[in-house]
Amino acid sequence: MALAASARTRPHYGGTLRIEIQGDAWAPDSLARRLVLNTLTDLSDSGTAQPALAIAWSAQNNDQRWDFQLRPQVRFHDGTPLTAEDVVVSLTSACAVPMGSAAASGAPAVACPWNAVYVAGPSEVVITTPAPQPDLPELLAQTRFSVSKQDDTGQLEGTGPFRVAGFSGGALTLAANDDCWQGRPFLDSVEIFTHRAIRDQWLDLSVGRADVVQIPPEMLGQAQQQHLDILVSQPLDLLALTLDAQGSFADPAMRQAAALAVDRASLYNVIFQKQGEITASLLPEPLSGYSFLFSTDRDLMRARTLRGGAPARPITMSADPGGGTLQLAAERLALNLDEAGFAVQMAPPGTPSTLDLRIVHLDEASPLAALDEMLTRLGQTVTVNGTDPHALWLAERTALQNYTVVPLLWLPRAWAVGERVRDLRLSPHGEPQLADASLEAAR
Amino acid sequence: MTLRQKLLLMFSITVVGIVAAVAWTVSVRVRRVFEEMDREQTAALVNQLQREFDQRGSDTAAALDRMASSDALRRIAFELANGGDAARYLTVAATLAQEYQLDDLELVGNDGNIISSAQWPARFGYPEPVIFSAGKPAFLKQEQLPDGSEEIGTFAVRSVSGSSPPLYIVGGRALDAATLRTFPVPAGTQVYLYRNLTAEFDPGNFGAPVQAVSSATAYRQLVDQARASGQNAEGVVYPTLRRQDSVNATAIPLKGANGGVLAVLVVSNSRRGMVEVQNHIRAIAYGVAGIGILFAVVMSLWIAARVSRPIEQLARAASQVAAGDWHARVEIHTRDEVGVLAETFNHMTEQLAEQRERLVQSERVAAWRELARRLAHELKNPLFPLQITVENMTRARALPPQEFDEVFAESAATLRAEIENLKAIIARFSDFSKMPKPQVETIDARDAVRRVTALYEPALREKRINLRVPMDKEPLLISADPELLHRALSNLVLNAMDAMPEGGTLTVSAAQQGDAARISVADSGAGLTPEECERLFTPYYTTKQHGTGLGLAIVQSVVADHHGTIAVERGENGGARFVIDLPLLAAGVTA
Repeated sequence: MALAASARTRPHYGGTLRIEIQGDAWAPDSLARRLVLNTLTDLSDSGTAQPALAIAWSAQNNDQRWDFQLRPQVRFHDGTPLTAEDVVVSLTSACAVPMGSAAASGAPAVACPWNAVYVAGPSEVVITTPAPQPDLPELLAQTRFSVSKQDDTGQLEGTGPFRVAGFSGGALTLAANDDCWQGRPFLDSVEIFTHRAIRDQWLDLSVGRADVVQIPPEMLGQAQQQHLDILVSQPLDLLALTLDAQGSFADPAMRQAAALAVDRASLYNVIFQKQGEITASLLPEPLSGYSFLFSTDRDLMRARTLRGGAPARPITMSADPGGGTLQLAAERLALNLDEAGFAVQMAPPGTPSTLDLRIVHLDEASPLAALDEMLTRLGQTVTVNGTDPHALWLAERTALQNYTVVPLLWLPRAWAVGERVRDLRLSPHGEPQLADASLEAAR
Repeated sequence: MTLRQKLLLMFSITVVGIVAAVAWTVSVRVRRVFEEMDREQTAALVNQLQREFDQRGSDTAAALDRMASSDALRRIAFELANGGDAARYLTVAATLAQEYQLDDLELVGNDGNIISSAQWPARFGYPEPVIFSAGKPAFLKQEQLPDGSEEIGTFAVRSVSGSSPPLYIVGGRALDAATLRTFPVPAGTQVYLYRNLTAEFDPGNFGAPVQAVSSATAYRQLVDQARASGQNAEGVVYPTLRRQDSVNATAIPLKGANGGVLAVLVVSNSRRGMVEVQNHIRAIAYGVAGIGILFAVVMSLWIAARVSRPIEQLARAASQVAAGDWHARVEIHTRDEVGVLAETFNHMTEQLAEQRERLVQSERVAAWRELARRLAHELKNPLFPLQITVENMTRARALPPQEFDEVFAESAATLRAEIENLKAIIARFSDFSKMPKPQVETIDARDAVRRVTALYEPALREKRINLRVPMDKEPLLISADPELLHRALSNLVLNAMDAMPEGGTLTVSAAQQGDAARISVADSGAGLTPEECERLFTPYYTTKQHGTGLGLAIVQSVVADHHGTIAVERGENGGARFVIDLPLLAAGVTA
């Protein structure tokens, strides 16, 4: 019996794991990118930077000059060795690639935290920043700073545990990288089925056509009722309302009135079925420790007072593309604002509007890096003067007092796992770490 | 307008009038028939739609009844009654609505707040006041939608069976343009739905079909009437300027549970068929009228040949008679009244000619008699002294030669004087017969008057006759022979002097009278009798003891030769007044 038990717990090599997702396979924060590409650093469970493609780093000049030593013997999927030049090209080009919804809307690139990246030796890259950047190693763990290169055919080559094997029938096939510096993954391949509705994913999971499927936060309770094997991350997605400080919301008082009119409790209790946490902060409470200082209460009377008797000019609102729940939340917020005297008209998802309901993903796991990331992703230009919680709170309060961003909820990411999947954990980014997973019975 | 034209006009009017009356009568009758058909069709359609509405309402209520008794809802009600989290049922309404084929569905808690809404999921937690209609028949209700629009539907409210506290379900089916398209309507009939969302008429509140095919504003009057009165309104609507696009429309107000008009159902029946029939009738009427007018022309020509042509001949003959042609005759072709009239006319003209001939002959005889009488009278006066003188000379032969010589000399002188007198008489008669042709020139009529009055002013003064000569200040240019005119005016002045042997007033004037220069000579004598006035210008007629009766005849002859007229009338002072009108020369014209 003991031998049998031991045999069941030993990982098997081989097999194809099928995972289904709602979105695009190659989205900026997608699972596929993390499986194919590596970053210079990675995040530990505690949120601190740990070696990845860089094995060591050091800061000089008051955290404004960082020297990264590259891991030796790392090769791209096409067999070419990783060089310092490849890293410099990747990091430089990362600053030209818009992120998230900004990419969809054609917004300009997100600013990088450095002002220069250059080769300092065969395996040494130096990054200089315009201001002290003590959290630069953590920032470099974000997928947007992944290291990659294009081969002669234009295909993207990475150094991750899987390589792109093909795309057909709505599925992206990734094959195991036998020469991965992290070691060969247990799985032979991974098939990522894209643009699958949640109901279909659950159905496929129930009949064994899928091994890993997504669970939206609002369906976690339902998944638990169905006794699915669930992996839930820490709150990593911020549901936030952004306000265009022009036109109807040029007046800060109008924006404050809108911020006071939103009813977070109904979003949390009903639409998201009590998942995640109510927030008025850019960071989750477990990460910052001060989120409770930002009031989440609704004050409709004050909102009406602030709005005064201003004529109700039509205001457009849209939600990020991503399903009916976001649209429902946006319609609820429209009702909230309607109670305060605003005339809100719903626009199709993804349409640039005065009010946007956005989902902003948090990659970072340390407070300073996380705040930097959120400020950057939300287009806020606030300088954080220090690393202590008080400095972070001051910076966040300064950003939120503009009322151009109204944080609403922090939501977790969750996955349902099939019975044959073993040793699957979630990364600090909320993605399944498929490189460490195996299948119980390889087929 | 000639008789022929009158006949043509009369016939044309008669034909066109009859055709128009017949066409109008037929058109009105056709319109009434079509309107009656439309009314019957609309009434049937309205009844059918009403049954459809009732059926939809019954279906909705039945669906809600089934839903209220379903295990799923009873379980939800039980869980909620036992402290279950209402948030778990956020999407239940959408699922149930799909299952029971409802467009709208809300689960409403005992507190009246929405637990789940199919049509507007975000409205959870907001109150739904309509739950007080629970258990009642289906009713019309206006429902707001997330995109800001509003829809109308048949709704019913039920409480879940056995739920305590009650859990309400409010469900309905939308009534929109798409729904109306499912209704069976005959060809040529359209059904539109106007949603009563705004106080003022808004064309955008019509369903899509009416906007696609016609102008929605054309229905405004009917819709407003139905909205205001709450009663059906009927009328003819012209969506375009073309008559064949017009429709007979009936606006039917659809009322909600509180009696307010939520929508107006517009049933329109095309009038194309009726208009086309009317146009056909009108085209036929135009054709018949045209043929009738041609017929009237032919008839008028024929009748003219039969009736108006003899009358025209009669008129022409009458004109010829009036112009002096006493031998004008009318040809007689018929024996009807016109023929009798023509025969009578010919007979009359023959008699007139005969009477005129007799009159001329009698006047000619009278003139000769008058001439003989005058000649006898004129010649008798000098002949008597001649006879006496000759007898004296005969008796003087017995006297002594000296006395005989004296008598002879005296008698010879007398004989010469009387012979001269006879010569003068004969010369005057000769002058009248030999009136010279006028030698015309441009003269001022006032100068002719001045010349005559200046000549006779001493003689007038001697006979104690006052002379008055009023004249226009402007020249009165005429074309005349100054000598003949002077002679005529002299005759008139001498006559006036003879008429006032005891003195009086002579007025000689010259003034413009229209296009003529009027010269008048008026005395204050005894005046003339009407008979005298009538015969005054007859040659050899005179009222004077020693007159020849040729003076005024000469005056009339001179005036006639100058294309003028002369008349005599009673003057202001009781005497005679002779008025001569001579044509004035036009400006810039000389003789």
